[in-house]
Amino acid sequence: MTQKILFKNIDEPGLATLDVYRARGGYGERLRMALSMSRDALVEELKASGLRGRGGAGFSMGTKASFLPKGQLDKYLVCNADESEPGTFKDRELMQKCPHMLIEGMIIAAYAAGANRSFIYLRGEYEQQADILERAVHEAKVAGFIGDRILGTDLSLSMWVHRGAGAYICGEETALLDSLEGKRGNPRLKPPFPANQGLYQGPTLINNVETLATLPHIIEMGAEHYAKIGVQNSTGTKLVSVSGHVQRPGNYEIELGMSSRDIIYGLAGGPGEGRSVKLWFPGGSSSPVLTGDDLDLSYDFDTLAKAGTMLGSGAIIVADDQSSVVDIALKTAQFYRHESCGKCTPCREGTNWTVKMLERIKSGDATPMDLDLMASVCENIIGNCLCVLGDAMAMPIGSMVKKFRGEFEEYIEAARAAAERELLAGLAPTQPVAA
Amino acid sequence: MPRPEHRSITFTIDGREVQAPENTILVDAAKLGDVEIPVFCYEPKLGQPVGACRMCLVEIEGIPKLQTGCSTPVKDGMVVHTQTARVKEAQAAVVEFLLINHPLDCPVCDKGGECPLQDISYGWGGGTTRFIEPKRHFVKPLELSPLIAIDRERCILCYRCVRFSQEVSEDYQLVLHERGAATFVGTFDGHPYVAPFSGNIIELCPVGALTSRPYRFRARPWDIEGSGSVCTLCPAQCNVSFTVRDERVLRVLARQNDGVDDGWLCDKGRFAYQSVHSDERVTQPLLRDGGELRPVSWERALATAAGLLKKAGAGVAGLAGGESTNEEGFLLQRLIREVLGSSHVDAAGVDPVDLWSLARPDLQASLQDVEYAHTVLVLGTEPVDDMPILDLRIRKGVRRNRVKLAVATARPSSLDASAALSVRYAPGGEGAFVTALTAAVYGGDVDAPAAAAGADVDAIRTLAELLRTGGGDDDNRAPGDVVIVWGTRLLGADGGAVTPALLKLASGLALTGRDGGGLLAVPASTNERGLLEAGVAPGLAPGFGDTGAAGESYAEAGIARALRDGDLTALYLLHDDPILSRPDAVGWDRALEKATTVVAHAQFLTAGLREHATVVFPAESYAEKEGTVTHPDGRVQRLRPAIGRQGQTRPEWWVLSELSRRLGADMGILTGAMASRQLFDAVPFYAGLTLDRIGGRGVRWPADPAAAAAFPPPPEVRRDVAYETTATPNGALRLGTFRSIWAGIEVELSPALTFLTPRQQVEMAPADARRLGVAHGDKVVVAGDGASLEATVVLRNAASPGSVFLQTGIQTDAANGLDAALVEIHKA
Amino acid sequence: MSTPRIVNGIARYEHGSRVPGWDEAADLTKDPAGVPDPAVVEVPADLRLEIESYMARYPDSRSAAIPALKAAQQRYGWCSPEAIEQAACVMRLTPGYLAAVAGFYDQLETRPVGRRPVYVCTNISCSLRGADALLAALQDELGDAPDVNLRGFECLGACDIAPMVSVEGVYVGPVDADEIPELARQIRAGDEPLPAKQLINRPSQDPDASAA
Repeated sequence: MTQKILFKNIDEPGLATLDVYRARGGYGERLRMALSMSRDALVEELKASGLRGRGGAGFSMGTKASFLPKGQLDKYLVCNADESEPGTFKDRELMQKCPHMLIEGMIIAAYAAGANRSFIYLRGEYEQQADILERAVHEAKVAGFIGDRILGTDLSLSMWVHRGAGAYICGEETALLDSLEGKRGNPRLKPPFPANQGLYQGPTLINNVETLATLPHIIEMGAEHYAKIGVQNSTGTKLVSVSGHVQRPGNYEIELGMSSRDIIYGLAGGPGEGRSVKLWFPGGSSSPVLTGDDLDLSYDFDTLAKAGTMLGSGAIIVADDQSSVVDIALKTAQFYRHESCGKCTPCREGTNWTVKMLERIKSGDATPMDLDLMASVCENIIGNCLCVLGDAMAMPIGSMVKKFRGEFEEYIEAARAAAERELLAGLAPTQPVAA
Repeated sequence: MPRPEHRSITFTIDGREVQAPENTILVDAAKLGDVEIPVFCYEPKLGQPVGACRMCLVEIEGIPKLQTGCSTPVKDGMVVHTQTARVKEAQAAVVEFLLINHPLDCPVCDKGGECPLQDISYGWGGGTTRFIEPKRHFVKPLELSPLIAIDRERCILCYRCVRFSQEVSEDYQLVLHERGAATFVGTFDGHPYVAPFSGNIIELCPVGALTSRPYRFRARPWDIEGSGSVCTLCPAQCNVSFTVRDERVLRVLARQNDGVDDGWLCDKGRFAYQSVHSDERVTQPLLRDGGELRPVSWERALATAAGLLKKAGAGVAGLAGGESTNEEGFLLQRLIREVLGSSHVDAAGVDPVDLWSLARPDLQASLQDVEYAHTVLVLGTEPVDDMPILDLRIRKGVRRNRVKLAVATARPSSLDASAALSVRYAPGGEGAFVTALTAAVYGGDVDAPAAAAGADVDAIRTLAELLRTGGGDDDNRAPGDVVIVWGTRLLGADGGAVTPALLKLASGLALTGRDGGGLLAVPASTNERGLLEAGVAPGLAPGFGDTGAAGESYAEAGIARALRDGDLTALYLLHDDPILSRPDAVGWDRALEKATTVVAHAQFLTAGLREHATVVFPAESYAEKEGTVTHPDGRVQRLRPAIGRQGQTRPEWWVLSELSRRLGADMGILTGAMASRQLFDAVPFYAGLTLDRIGGRGVRWPADPAAAAAFPPPPEVRRDVAYETTATPNGALRLGTFRSIWAGIEVELSPALTFLTPRQQVEMAPADARRLGVAHGDKVVVAGDGASLEATVVLRNAASPGSVFLQTGIQTDAANGLDAALVEIHKA
Repeated sequence: MSTPRIVNGIARYEHGSRVPGWDEAADLTKDPAGVPDPAVVEVPADLRLEIESYMARYPDSRSAAIPALKAAQQRYGWCSPEAIEQAACVMRLTPGYLAAVAGFYDQLETRPVGRRPVYVCTNISCSLRGADALLAALQDELGDAPDVNLRGFECLGACDIAPMVSVEGVYVGPVDADEIPELARQIRAGDEPLPAKQLINRPSQDPDASAA
């Protein structure tokens, strides 16, 4: 049994209220302790915990906080709650059931970063969660945990929940900043990085919900203790969202380094009776897919990277042996085409082109040579874009073509044959053919 | 704000060691080593690079991923490769992506032959495409505005146009709709993109997506020649390149000169070239015969004019319009003074000693100072109307260099939204306002002049504080570099009080002799400064010398009065129609009526000339002219003829010199260049100028210490002049005026711009409209001092109650028909 | 504006494009769209107050663009030209600026639609569990409900209840095939959708979560 940190007592009635949260130790000694440390000591503590960002990139949280320049500047803390990576729904449960944990974490992060204004950029679709968060922020303001001179210290912090309006790209931190500034959510060139020039050109620390919610616990148990959980370079626990063809889809808090099989089968129940895992995304739809042969990989940042994929946001999507890889590829590509902001050429045109090629495969107008073309187009996208959205389509699609080329070729042949038959029969447009 | 300084570094590109200033953007630095890195979205004029098109990917040693050359500043020791297989593949891939939906309709595309997409596809593309799906097809071209056609098939989404609209002109009208592959350029709800600077997007577009409707299908790049000159349609004097085919101007492009225009043009400058070829042009000499102007031979026109002028002798006065060149003005004053023995010659219409005092080189700010100053004060002018390109420069300073902008005007300003502070005064309160501001900076009574100006005392004090402390920090309060951009129209309003106050303000802010700060005049007409320096001013010889004339020399208003009174009998008009361009149209109408002789050089027969001119010589347009003009910041710039003169038109210098010969005096001028030579010799601070030295970029004489030393010190201005008090409305409304960027006959006569011809409108505050029972869009009659005109009501929330504003410079119902401080308004 | 035809599951406009708007020229009889002057554009007082309260939250009031557009959309049913112009008037921005923002985000509607958004997630996890059939069935049931804006949507972040529907922000799922008529009825009537299947009441799946 994994030690529960974030999900401890998560279903306790009333945990979303200030009273219950405080009764569980929230805003108590640990917050006082954090705010009594020097900023540098706090940052060192966060570094020592080994906590890596839970949003997808996996960058050391403490190091990121240490990048912010010192001095009397307007600095900002932004919580990235634009949870949009397909397959990811962990932040939603956390914010809905224990919003104060996030708020407390943000107070600590703001202190570490020297920020005095903070925003929670929440995806617009999470309306119920937004209401809960806003209530919680209000409660915290009334109780004096947000506002001027928090707990009698020098820290003053404002906090607002900013609701987005439906754009996956706003989960990319610089696009999020543009969106929060009231613009179209286009990613920015980096450098400058947000730590130097972020929101309103000011130094800005941006972290994911889960990352921030972990901070109170790190302070409470001590960085040294926290760092002992998990494996090397992947310390602590992680919320994993498991979905797709599993019997118990949901969020699970695991210790990093657990075997993937134990997550998919042990926790989530695996595919239904008599089915097996055909492919799975280990870290959201942007991660290159793995197959049923990869189930014994340790679920941690480094192992997955070595396997040519990534832990990402910790979202496992499982497809069983009856699903069509062509359908999954098309869904994936369509998603990225829809969500491409259009700013840079390879992503805008490449995602569009890839969808057209997959549609051609579906309609029986493709040849196996198109698979090489598709792989080449994906190659031309990877590494050439302004942000990672293009790569996020090209890498999984590339991995699917590579790992399931045989199935693609069979599909192409079957679809061509069906299309020819229908053409000869003078029938209306082709229907998709199951592989 | 100190201008950035760069040390030189060495980096390596494709094996070549290249010296470049540190932090130069790699794309630019590469050019120093003769390496071209292809770009679409990169355009430094648009601000920070965006890295969107990905065309400029290059390999930099030590960095694993390919980098965009448009966003990488060069550092010492950097090693760059642009020819490796990786780079070539990536660049070819980007070209392939860009061409997926591009129609490749080059044979019927206006951009063909001068198209970056063509060039880059040829130079860096793979030559083939693997995209076999159908391309998009749409109705095309579509109208984006009456001036611009948009072809969305061709668009490669480089965003230059929308960045211009949003980050340069800041009109925020042109935007992107939708997102991803569906993104397209457009406007709100189908409104046309009409804005003072919209035409620049045509030049910015690297493909044929945005084309000029007036230029479409008029020529191919191999049919045309470019001819560099200067636009003289307004005081901004932007550097332009005329596109000429078969002796016709077909297009005007910007000719970037950072000291003048930053490479932008306003739409008037870009499209009003059409008036050059208007059928309305006067192309042969005209003589009044039987009450009507009829074409005559040059000989007859010259002989008649010479005879009439000889008869009038010292009873002749000369007026030069703002579009006259320095040489034309110089020769005009020679004709009037030396040949005819009159002392009455004017151009600006305000006290020339005021202009002289305020044009001192030690107080002169350069145009570029506006961009780097700590604080810019815009005083009594609306740059977008009066000197459009200056508006962009001010915005650039605020946006890029965090210049603090303060605006002090009677009429709400389009710069208010960018300003740290905006202060209003009432029309007629100009002198009192500047006096109050000076007192607030320098010490003295602020309350009384502020009240007389109809301005808020606290706002004036805040403004003074901003000016005094803009350069320092909390511990060290210093004025820093302040540029005061002031409209010379202030002098027409209450010059006697404005000049001493402004001089005192400048010295109070330590602007005397300061690099990076000072005064920058926004003249009321194109070459106001040059004509003044060339001696077209009452009582002042070229170079502010002594004319040696006895008795009073009339300025414009005096000339009108003297003509009405019969003290003067003849008027020589050089590019001027006083009824259109001068205050008190009614008074001028009577003056011209009374004059026995009116000799005019004109391109167009405007109302005053049609009614009153005796002899009209066809005048050159700015595309036909040679000579020089002087920019408001002292830059002497050179006009060069781009096309032959229309019809029988002869150069003005020749006509003036020929008349002079016929009147018995040889000016000694056989060519235009000789006129320039004479001018340079006559003006002490133009000494050493030659047309060659002026060249294509101009010479700022105030920046030349020798020239500045040769500037004659102006006489002490009177310091005890009382300011005027703004009129008390008492139920009526104070009248203020402004001149729209679109005012002017050139706009009306250019078919492409006709739709912009301003109609009279009266801008007022909603409170006044409610009181008068009129609504936005109503037709009303504005009456004052016995005259009246028709106008349409325009409500502005920011307008100060009690004052209304009308336009001048328009052909009908112009505000100069009302010579009144207060007006009444009622429904038409 | 024409409505798209669905060909092979893809919406295509009359001109064959999937992109609306590309074929629209500017209307040269209109004036250019600058920042609306409050003296000329009237804004309902409550809408103005709401937008101004959002503007006050941020160091740069422009940040309130999305909340302001949502407020205007709430009032007018979609980001109509009128809605955008009023929001622009309060925010001192051009309507073009806000139109560009509105066009970027999926939840902001730039064409007239039903007032009540019903989103069916059709992303990977949901489609593996039958989302496409769910969307089709709901379209059949609700195709004629004029005030419902039923559309397929990208991942709504509720893959644990796939296939799922967001009914005006209330997440329900997993929606079984036999529940679809009832859900459609509830949506049409404006009733609470599938109360037993609402995400908000779903306990954590982590077996040890509630243990200490």
